[in-house]
Amino acid sequence: MTFFANFCIPFIVGALIMFAVIVIKYLSWLRNLPKKDWILIIKNIFTWRTITAVWEVVSESLLHRRIFKVNPKLGYMHMSLAFGWFLLIAVGWAETVAYLGFRWVPLQGHVFFKYFVPLNGITAHKPLFDFVMDLLLLFVLSGVAMAWLKRARSRALGMKKTTNHILFDRIALSALWFIFPLRLIAESITCAIYGGGSFLTGGIGILLSKSIGVEALNFVYEPAWWLYSTALGVFFVAMPFSRYMHIFTEVPLIFLRHYKLRPEAKEKSYDNFEVEACSRCGICIDPCQLQSQLGINEVQSVYFLRDRRYNMLQQKIANNCLMCGRCEQICPVGINLNTLRLNSRSTMRNIPNESRYNYLRGTDRSQGEGKVGYFAGCMTLLTPKTLSSMQRIFEAAHESVWWADKDGGVCCGRPLKLSGEVDSAQKMIDYNCALFEKHQIKTLVTSCPICLKVFREEYNLEGIEVLHHSEYILRLMKQGRLKVRYMRGSTFTYHDPCELGRGSGIYDQPRAVIEAVGELLEPKHNRKNALCCGSSVANTAINDGQQLTIASAVASELEATGAETIVTACPLCKKAITRGTQQQVADLSEIVAQSLK
Amino acid sequence: MKHVIVIGGGIAGMQCASELLRHGVAVTIIEKDKDLGGKIRNWHKLFPTFTPADEVLAEMRHRLKVSSNLTVKTNCEATKITAKRVTLSSGEELKCDATVIATGFTLFDAKIKEEYGYGIYDNVITSADLEQMFNENNVRLKQGGTPRRIAILHCVGSRDEKVCQRHCSKVCCVTGVKQAMELKEMFPTADVFNFYMDIRMFGPGYEEMYREAQTKHNVHFVRGRISEVSPTIDNRLQIKAEDTLTGRPLKIGVDMLVLLIGMKANDLNQTLVEECNLQAQPSGFMRAKDSFLHNVESNVGGVFYAGAVTAPKNVGESINEGTSAAHAVVEWLEKR
Repeated sequence: MTFFANFCIPFIVGALIMFAVIVIKYLSWLRNLPKKDWILIIKNIFTWRTITAVWEVVSESLLHRRIFKVNPKLGYMHMSLAFGWFLLIAVGWAETVAYLGFRWVPLQGHVFFKYFVPLNGITAHKPLFDFVMDLLLLFVLSGVAMAWLKRARSRALGMKKTTNHILFDRIALSALWFIFPLRLIAESITCAIYGGGSFLTGGIGILLSKSIGVEALNFVYEPAWWLYSTALGVFFVAMPFSRYMHIFTEVPLIFLRHYKLRPEAKEKSYDNFEVEACSRCGICIDPCQLQSQLGINEVQSVYFLRDRRYNMLQQKIANNCLMCGRCEQICPVGINLNTLRLNSRSTMRNIPNESRYNYLRGTDRSQGEGKVGYFAGCMTLLTPKTLSSMQRIFEAAHESVWWADKDGGVCCGRPLKLSGEVDSAQKMIDYNCALFEKHQIKTLVTSCPICLKVFREEYNLEGIEVLHHSEYILRLMKQGRLKVRYMRGSTFTYHDPCELGRGSGIYDQPRAVIEAVGELLEPKHNRKNALCCGSSVANTAINDGQQLTIASAVASELEATGAETIVTACPLCKKAITRGTQQQVADLSEIVAQSLK
Repeated sequence: MKHVIVIGGGIAGMQCASELLRHGVAVTIIEKDKDLGGKIRNWHKLFPTFTPADEVLAEMRHRLKVSSNLTVKTNCEATKITAKRVTLSSGEELKCDATVIATGFTLFDAKIKEEYGYGIYDNVITSADLEQMFNENNVRLKQGGTPRRIAILHCVGSRDEKVCQRHCSKVCCVTGVKQAMELKEMFPTADVFNFYMDIRMFGPGYEEMYREAQTKHNVHFVRGRISEVSPTIDNRLQIKAEDTLTGRPLKIGVDMLVLLIGMKANDLNQTLVEECNLQAQPSGFMRAKDSFLHNVESNVGGVFYAGAVTAPKNVGESINEGTSAAHAVVEWLEKR
């Protein structure tokens, strides 16, 4: 058997182009990995990490478990296409082996097996394989049908909005949609002429031969296989240049991630794996408040990654993001969306005049002595109620405090980092690190989650414990150093700040503090699904009116809890929500200071 | 006899009502407070002539002298307004032939600018609080004693993107100058500073007043907004600002800080838009039919505007608009 027919040409050419492009891409990305990343790979490749990575490939690339968790209908759609197609290939290969034994069969021989070996006198296992293959084809076709439905009516699959695709994606998408229906037609015609097939292809085959007749079917037999092969070929050629690059790219990404490779403050070769692993499923669109509240439709992570991949990223897209992390939290591929956007901003930033940071020298105006340092943060200095409440708390706990920035200090550096000015931010970081070291503090408390995140992640503060004031207050309470009065009848609701919750994983401590002084009522979106207040320093694109629109929506959800006081633990969130509501908004420290015994 | 309902019994509403009565129209005034007079009731003296607000108010009351054609409903708010009918908060419905909306503005809540410490530090007060103190002849520090150094901050809640109040409230600059002069007369040895972005002296006599404040009263003017206020150990206030004329950051301790709070669009305007089919400007103030020829008419026939409901205005302008609105109403009624 030669396993070749002319109709195989589109398929063969397509497959060759696809594999060549993919190999070239991967090799060049790997070759450009920084040395540090290579060391990580070598260190981790022969450990259990490789095995856990294999398991994740099965559960994510094939079964799509994370999508299932977010949206079962979408999960089924993706799984039926990926896992179904994989099984068709795997069972198809087993079928070849069962009939022909272990011998080399060219790729097209496996793919078009029904054409080359329609019946061929083989009877053993035939009905079983035919049945399984038909069942799998039906499984995949059900996924295709859902994909069609999603395009026509995304709401039917639980998505308010689905991705707006570019031309290449549309070509690949259309080809993909036709592959399996065309396969069904080609195989059914073959069954009609030669017999065989199970309930699906066999059944349609009988119907076809009865209604049209074998004579006529012989006429369309070859063209049907041509069409199927062409659809495959077109899809393969388009694939490495389209969203479908994710099918393969997610696999090396999972391995590299298990070897502890991560995107960083500046762009690097590893980022390519993350960027091209985006399937543009569009799950990130619905949670984006810029979309749901402001109707901004072109900035979401799916579009950011697409634009970055095709080198057409514009600053207005990169900068228009709250960095709230709601999309990152839900991304089924687990792409580090915030970090990638930040390093894009860094690449695209305006080069600042570095001499403007000369003023940093000799600006230490701190006061007080103590092993506990308190860094209020710029925004806390602009919300002095928090500052005076912290003062009362420190006094009540008899804590001797070094006030790092009460009389003005140097910014923590994160706002600069968020706007991509990584090098300038480093100047702030170095200054503050030296300052903390000079005053020999053991604990650093801050009221600002924005500062907290950068202290914890970017500062080298060996020997200094960094705490958010919510953690610190709770600790004082547990140690019995801070006694508060439970105010019966007082009701509070809590807004999770993005940088504190999703950003630093602090959800329980502020809640425990609130529950010590009154009743806590949870809003609809809370903890890792909490909404963003809208005034994020990470977004330099939207105006104050738009920020207010988001804040009002967030405030109305908090008001709906019926609580008397809206509590948050971030000075920026507090300012944002205050302008969106008539209700009382307080920082966590305020309600503690009010109820001190 | 035709019947017109005037919503809001401040100076614009009162003037409009008295003018309508003169033209033989029956008038009902709906006032949410217990007395007529509006915000001017809490004011001490008016710029640029230092005329006591009481004098103006007394004259306004005199013009509205008791008439069988006038009904005044106090402690009462309108919830729905059309040309032919006004629904009150009590549920009562009043029929009429036209309505005039003269509900004025809402004072900006200084607590929103938390960095200035209003409601947090004892001696941070608003311009409205200061007028009250003038009225009670009780300008003093919370802890007792007289202020030796006072700062007056302009544009609190005006021309401020951060609190979504982009418009200029128009009257605060001259109020700041007026209050600085009054404070200097009261405490001749005190230092009084005005922190401003621009000094907008738009009215007759205002620029002269500004000049006099500097030459005669030695009031200091610093171009720059205050960024934050913090308490000092001896219970004074430390102000951080930038003197944008010299390009230098500035830090001074003061005993008292006066915040010149701006005029915000009336909180009720939202209801007018949602319930009554009327149009507002992006600033939230109501939109007149046009800015030149129909500036006291709304987009709905038979519904008119007078005073600061459409934009920040001073006392004189508001009274004039009361008259204009009355004339427009009379003209409209004659056509029916």
